[in-house]
Amino acid sequence: MKKYIAPLAALLLLTGSAFAFIAATNWQIADGYNIAFSSDDAGGIFKGFKGTIAFDEQNPAASKFDVTIDVATVNTGNGLQNKHLKSDEWLDATKYPTIHFVSKSVAKTANGYQVTGDLAMHGVTKAITFPFTFKKTGTGGTFAGSFTVNRNDFKVGKPGGEVGESIKIDVSVPVTK
Amino acid sequence: MFKKALLLGLISGILAGIAGIVYARIYYKINEADFSKIVGTIRILASSLFGGVLAAIGYTVADKLLKAKGEIVFNLLFTLLSFASLLLPIGFKLPLDMQTPELFPGMVIPMHFFPALGWYTLKPLFIKK
Repeated sequence: MKKYIAPLAALLLLTGSAFAFIAATNWQIADGYNIAFSSDDAGGIFKGFKGTIAFDEQNPAASKFDVTIDVATVNTGNGLQNKHLKSDEWLDATKYPTIHFVSKSVAKTANGYQVTGDLAMHGVTKAITFPFTFKKTGTGGTFAGSFTVNRNDFKVGKPGGEVGESIKIDVSVPVTK
Repeated sequence: MFKKALLLGLISGILAGIAGIVYARIYYKINEADFSKIVGTIRILASSLFGGVLAAIGYTVADKLLKAKGEIVFNLLFTLLSFASLLLPIGFKLPLDMQTPELFPGMVIPMHFFPALGWYTLKPLFIKK
């Protein structure tokens, strides 16, 4: 019997460590999130945002982000601009109703974390990497990050023109357990 | 002449302001679109009064400079400027927390014609030629 104790303990340890590696805390997206975009000439927010977030500060590699933005909820503060952005000339909200991001890997960095994943927008999927921070507050926390995308990469709008090609995306997402 | 024009401008401005306030209330009841943080009662009244006073100055200047043709030119300019001012609400950017910005021009555009409407309606009572 004794000869089984050591292998059993090793197996338990291995299984336990594997679970510790896999499991990450699931977070619920809370109200008050801000998904903002800005360029030299235009800017606004998306009001519709949902998805699943699994994140563990101690074990970022096990984290997973799968989030969706509702394109039709874009708000620039101007009705005409909203209509224009949702039209087939820009985001084409009817044909491509969502912007989807799925993470592939999350790693810890000196200033926070870095996520790499696929961003699908306007029928084009591209891998992007951007830094983010996570500030824990009580039982919740806030994810914050910003990155820049080139709208031409996603065939959004025509190249050149009045609207800048680099679009800055600022994300702030409060979460609860 | 200027005194009569100013009185006309003030009264038509006040009436335009009242019409604007009433219209804003009706618009809110119909569309549930509340823009009172941006275009409140005082702002509607003040801008209508401003329009009326500006019209009084413009009318007096046109009358002095152009004599008989002054009124024709003034009416044309007043109407044209009222139309041109529509670019302001069309291009206006509301705070991002405000809902349905596409309904904003629909509320403000008619108000831009109220001072001219008030002026043209009341003018025969104040200035007779």
